[in-house]
Amino acid sequence: MGHIEFHQVTKRFDNGHEALKDVTVTFEEGSMTFLTGHSGAGKSTFLKLLMCLDQPSRGQILVNGVNLTQISSRRLAYYRQNLGAVYQDHHLLAHRTVFDNVALPLRVSGMLEKDIARRVRAALSRVGLLPREHLFPGQLSTGEQQRVGIARAVVPRPKILLADEPTGNLDPELSRDIMHLFEQFNQVGTTVIIASHDHDLIESMGWRIVELGNGSIVRDQNNGPGSYDTEK
Amino acid sequence: MGQVRMTRKNRPRKDPWPRSHTGPLTWWRDHKRVARETLHFVSARPGTSMLVWLLVGIALALPAGLFLVQINLAGMTTAWEGRPGLSVYFDLGLADAEIAAAAAALLARSEISGVKVTTQDEALREFQTYTGLVNALDLLAENPLPASLRATLAEDASLVDLELVAEFAGRSAGVSEVVVEKTWLQRVTDITRVVSRLGMMLGALFGLGAVLVTATSVRLAIEARLEELRVLKLVGATDRQIRRPYLYFGAFYGLGGGLIAAMLISLCLVIVETPLTHLLGSYGQELKMSGFDPKFLLVLLAVGGILGIAGALLAARQRLTDLEIP
Repeated sequence: MGHIEFHQVTKRFDNGHEALKDVTVTFEEGSMTFLTGHSGAGKSTFLKLLMCLDQPSRGQILVNGVNLTQISSRRLAYYRQNLGAVYQDHHLLAHRTVFDNVALPLRVSGMLEKDIARRVRAALSRVGLLPREHLFPGQLSTGEQQRVGIARAVVPRPKILLADEPTGNLDPELSRDIMHLFEQFNQVGTTVIIASHDHDLIESMGWRIVELGNGSIVRDQNNGPGSYDTEK
Repeated sequence: MGQVRMTRKNRPRKDPWPRSHTGPLTWWRDHKRVARETLHFVSARPGTSMLVWLLVGIALALPAGLFLVQINLAGMTTAWEGRPGLSVYFDLGLADAEIAAAAAALLARSEISGVKVTTQDEALREFQTYTGLVNALDLLAENPLPASLRATLAEDASLVDLELVAEFAGRSAGVSEVVVEKTWLQRVTDITRVVSRLGMMLGALFGLGAVLVTATSVRLAIEARLEELRVLKLVGATDRQIRRPYLYFGAFYGLGGGLIAAMLISLCLVIVETPLTHLLGSYGQELKMSGFDPKFLLVLLAVGGILGIAGALLAARQRLTDLEIP
């Protein structure tokens, strides 16, 4: 349920800067991909378009055959309920506990509280934050906040998992653990796309690598089991 | 720009993003949770909430109070309309037999249900009793008060009939003056009309005021929780889910305002009860307040709740449409 297609997508900002130029790329359902490139290459813009936080200036983005540029607000909400996203700036709610932050997508989807509690604790346990479930984000380190964001992204068991520099503030060992967590999701069919510039991590994981440079795809390399289909 | 070629893989699926929890139970659960959270938010800020409740309460109390005044005035005219009549004053020194004849002639008419004669001596005694001017009147050589009679209009007779009877009475011998008692009744009716229109106008104005007060308060609540709204959008909340807490805000503010309005009206009634009893007593009437009953309270609460929700809808529509997140 996570087939993604970018077809000749261009994103030009008001100041004339083109963050993405005529990008065409496909992510098969159940694939795992690192999106890499230097700072300003267009990784974050790419993910923002996929999260529908911005609209492309030209081109089409299809997810499961639905054009995201023409989606109604109601369907956009359902799309996001099936999407797990890890943001660089975490987007955690300061006045809600770690537990409540992670529970948010499940409450939005209407799950029963007892199921929510079970799922949230399992997710927090996976990122090593179960003992801190009653704390507020302000009482956590940046790395811990990032892990809360990861737990919130994976807790609804999304069909698509997008992460923008999810290991930026984590030590190498924890980074690898988080990657293995993403791998486990991928094994049950989740399409995973991770934006990162951590070369050591990217090379060591053996996933597909899509590299952006100045808004265009400069490398598309399949290193692992995930399949891909690229047009240039 | 070329169109994407449709293949088996990228063909739109019937429901590409299925929802795992749907149906009325889920809807009900979400409402329950949102109501609980909103109530908690409102009760955690007693100062702000009380201020909003007072503002909405005052805005509701005035038109609601005027409505009560209007229905009581209307009730008063209805109660007295069955008993309007006329007073006939006779020339001084007119013989009792002539007065009795005039009374009998009036009583014979179908428009008149009763006649009560007050002789000159009775009039003097009543005057002395009510004014206490016993000694002053004793100084006069003769009784200056005329004999009179009061004729009461029959229940099925109209005010036009009263005019006809007054004309008839005026033509009788020895009659010096006929006073038709409908004048002040008409005044009460006119006042009722004025109060009614004033109530409608003030009701509309203050109702709008209540909506704006709630809208402003809800807008402030939205501003305070803007980051939460953005995050809710990011995790897939629908527009209805985003709006829902604010509709509860509006409802709670409106209901609280309705309750405050009821308390204010009740306080006003307690304050005016004694002077009003005295005033009505001077017209020989008892104070019987009607309209301030459980039904009135329920309607007041419902109106408060509806105006609150309207204000919340207004604020939510204005503010939530320009959230940075689509």
